[in-house]
Amino acid sequence: MTVFVIDDDAAVRDSIALMLGLEGYRTAVFADAEAFLAAWRGDWAGCVVADVRLPGRSGVELQSTLRNRAISLPFVIITAHGDVATARAAFRSQAVDFLEKPFDNVHLCAAIETAFALEERRIQREDGRRSDLEKLGRLTAREREVLEHAARGLHAKEIAAALGISPRTVEVHKTRIMDKLGVRNVAELVRFAIAATPSNGK
Amino acid sequence: MPSSMKLLRYLRDVAVFAPCYIALDWASYIDPVGPFNITPWNPQPALAIVWMMLGGLIHFPAVLATILLADVVVRHTPGGYVITATTALVLAGGYATIAWALKTLLSDTGLRSTRQVTIFAAVVVAGTSAVGAAFVGVLSAAGLLAGTPFNNAWMRFWIGDAVGILVTAPLLFAATDPARGSALLSLLRRPEALLQAIVLGVVVWLIFKGFGSDPSRQFYLLFLPLIWIAVRFGMNGAILATAIVQMGVVLGVHSDVGASLPVVELQALLVALTLTGLFLGVMVDERQRAEKGLRQTLRLAAAGEMAGAIAHEVNQPLTAVMNYGRSAQKLLERDPAGPSQEKEIIGKILSEAERASEIVRRLRDFFRAGTTRLEEVQADELLSAARRMGESAIEGKGISFEVQKPASLPTLFVDRLQIEVILRNLIANAVESVAGADRRNGRIAVSVLRHGDKHVRIVVTDNGPGVSAADREGLFEPFVSGKSTGMGLGLAVSRAIAEAHGGSLEVARVTHGEFHLVLPCVQSA
Repeated sequence: MTVFVIDDDAAVRDSIALMLGLEGYRTAVFADAEAFLAAWRGDWAGCVVADVRLPGRSGVELQSTLRNRAISLPFVIITAHGDVATARAAFRSQAVDFLEKPFDNVHLCAAIETAFALEERRIQREDGRRSDLEKLGRLTAREREVLEHAARGLHAKEIAAALGISPRTVEVHKTRIMDKLGVRNVAELVRFAIAATPSNGK
Repeated sequence: MPSSMKLLRYLRDVAVFAPCYIALDWASYIDPVGPFNITPWNPQPALAIVWMMLGGLIHFPAVLATILLADVVVRHTPGGYVITATTALVLAGGYATIAWALKTLLSDTGLRSTRQVTIFAAVVVAGTSAVGAAFVGVLSAAGLLAGTPFNNAWMRFWIGDAVGILVTAPLLFAATDPARGSALLSLLRRPEALLQAIVLGVVVWLIFKGFGSDPSRQFYLLFLPLIWIAVRFGMNGAILATAIVQMGVVLGVHSDVGASLPVVELQALLVALTLTGLFLGVMVDERQRAEKGLRQTLRLAAAGEMAGAIAHEVNQPLTAVMNYGRSAQKLLERDPAGPSQEKEIIGKILSEAERASEIVRRLRDFFRAGTTRLEEVQADELLSAARRMGESAIEGKGISFEVQKPASLPTLFVDRLQIEVILRNLIANAVESVAGADRRNGRIAVSVLRHGDKHVRIVVTDNGPGVSAADREGLFEPFVSGKSTGMGLGLAVSRAIAEAHGGSLEVARVTHGEFHLVLPCVQSA
């Protein structure tokens, strides 16, 4: 996980990077929001520490840009302009924290830890979903058909009728599917099917 | 004060008041009704009223005695001693009542608001009407006014007293009000004021000598120069102008002995002129004050904007300094046996940076919302801070710096950081002033003394050239600076801070540098 420091003041971002580096964080620094967006890669994880006032896009605007792209990287907003308007903007943007410059490094580190914890949970969720998709990929076409019907709550006989195969074969498919997906009973199977293929649930 | 001192002072006041009163009475004893003091010009009551307003009704006996004496000296007791005593009692009582009413209704004698002028005019006009009725009533009841209708005598007395007080009392108020007094004196040195006085004199001459027999028919011409004067110089101009017109009228009447001038009509017109001048003058003053206040507010708002911008810019490097400092600390901490002195120094750097950021934040807060965080602060602590500031400011400049204080001082109730900003400012200014004067024996002193029960006065003195009278005017206005490199915010912000504390910051009218900072103390329950 990386702390992405975005501040237009070279000394400020350098000093933050140095301080965080000594605290054991990996950091990457950017002079403005555009530089960050240009460098952005989908597999980046961590949190953004951004100044409110930046040339071009502000820190808060950058956050909403990322949200629109479905990137939920947590933000810590810093400002040398501790006025009510910027505090309110940061609050609305659901930043993890809002720190007034000059800030205490303890507060910054605490905010970063909170952000990292959020990010950790997000990664876990995404990992789970990815492995689910992987498991689904192991199913044969027929097995997937059976799973889809089962997810709709159909019994073996109904599935057999729908697919034109014998109920016994359906039971065999089900056992195989449960085996491949690592679930123990039909209820879990249904839950998995719905979670892994949310579009089927609609 | 010992009672003998009090008595001495009282006698001195009486010795000034009584001759002045009698002299004015004598000078204004013109065009009377019979042998009595029913004249169309009576400035001397103003003297009595102002004296009793300022000194209190304790002066009533002296006023009574003086009125009595004046009647004896100027008019040789025309109605006999009983009548003279009765009328003197009526007059002294009436004037005392007017003085009491004015003192009660007016918070001060500045005549600085339309309300004050309205009260002043109303009390004087109503009061003199009542006094006149009583005075003339006594005489006519005694059958001494045979041949003169009551109304005629009453009108004459009323107009005489009213115009006398309306014209003279503001002059006396001004004489006892240092600010107004010095403004009047500086007005006399203005070329435009001189021109106006000449025009006024010419118009008075014209209406008495230039246009034939009846000066009251051309009297309206006087309104033009009066309006000019009042619009240009406000109340001060109006006070002086009406006094000049009054003197002109008196001279005109005196120079025409024998000619039956309509003195009462002239004085009635003068009442109208005076009231016009006073009201116009006070309105001009009020408008000027409002404009000045607005300008100040706008300037401070601009200063607030600037403070915000500066705070932002200063906070950036401060952030970097503190981050670098903490990083250095962290690096040094990795080696517990490492150099301890460096750690200590970096700790000091960090705490200074924190202090700087705190000052920036409070200054910005001050402009933003006017928030001042009051806390109990020992005067000693502030003085030690002042000593530190002073000693670092004079380093290597060959200036001596000392702090003087009494043995015990009350606890102050102030915002420590804001007051330190003021002290730093004053001390820096003093150092600059002394150093700029190129003096060998430069000396700066900070002294503290009690100022009443509720305040403490901190005086910062230097033996530099001080602030010239001309510079004092705009000294505390933002963006007015006497220094080539100054922004002119220091003293403006300092005064704003002092006033936000319920204190004040003033420059002393002396020939060396001297600033007085008054701050509130903790109120003991």
